[in-house]
Amino acid sequence: MTQDLNPVPWGSQDRFQAHFIVKTHHDVSEDDFLARPKLETKGYFASKRVTGVRWIGYTLADTLNSDAELKNMMTRLSYEDAHITVEPTKGNIRIYGKWKDSYNFAITKELFAVYDRIASHIKRELGSPPVQS
Amino acid sequence: MHDSESDMFRPMNKNEEYCESLKKIGIDAEAKPLDTDVEKEDYYSKYFANSPAMVTNHGVIKLKGSNIDEVQIIQRG
Repeated sequence: MTQDLNPVPWGSQDRFQAHFIVKTHHDVSEDDFLARPKLETKGYFASKRVTGVRWIGYTLADTLNSDAELKNMMTRLSYEDAHITVEPTKGNIRIYGKWKDSYNFAITKELFAVYDRIASHIKRELGSPPVQS
Repeated sequence: MHDSESDMFRPMNKNEEYCESLKKIGIDAEAKPLDTDVEKEDYYSKYFANSPAMVTNHGVIKLKGSNIDEVQIIQRG
């Protein structure tokens, strides 16, 4: 029996993602909570830095764009970490970043602070009081 | 001659590992066993074209004292 020269890769890849979930507890307009940032950057390759952030989306994106402190916090993140997506699924709103390999898969205080601030805006939009942390 | 490393080790799930990294930065976090309500729902809304079709669920971490209710760990493929 001959060996397959082009074996099909299968199984789980070394790519992990953490979804930070805010529960909605009731039906919401999903479109309102879709948001993604468009990053302004400076430099190239390893020295690439985020200099500005503009959120693209609907109602939540407008709220996030009006928060200057959030934008300031995001410019202190690495270029990779600043790619944050806010995506509603059934009963939950998920905040997540890029896929990371197992070696780099961890959270920093600065990144968690950004996720928590976005979550506080989501809670306010949902009509529940945000937690002061 | 004894090795300095212990012969025994406790294998950790990915969500337990991530839970430890959350605790290290001062977050009150607790890794939950598999099969919570969140895991039964879709992981992506399919609004974005690059959402993966197949993912492996590694479980959920419950957070306290934060605006985030839960953290779900997933693996691509």
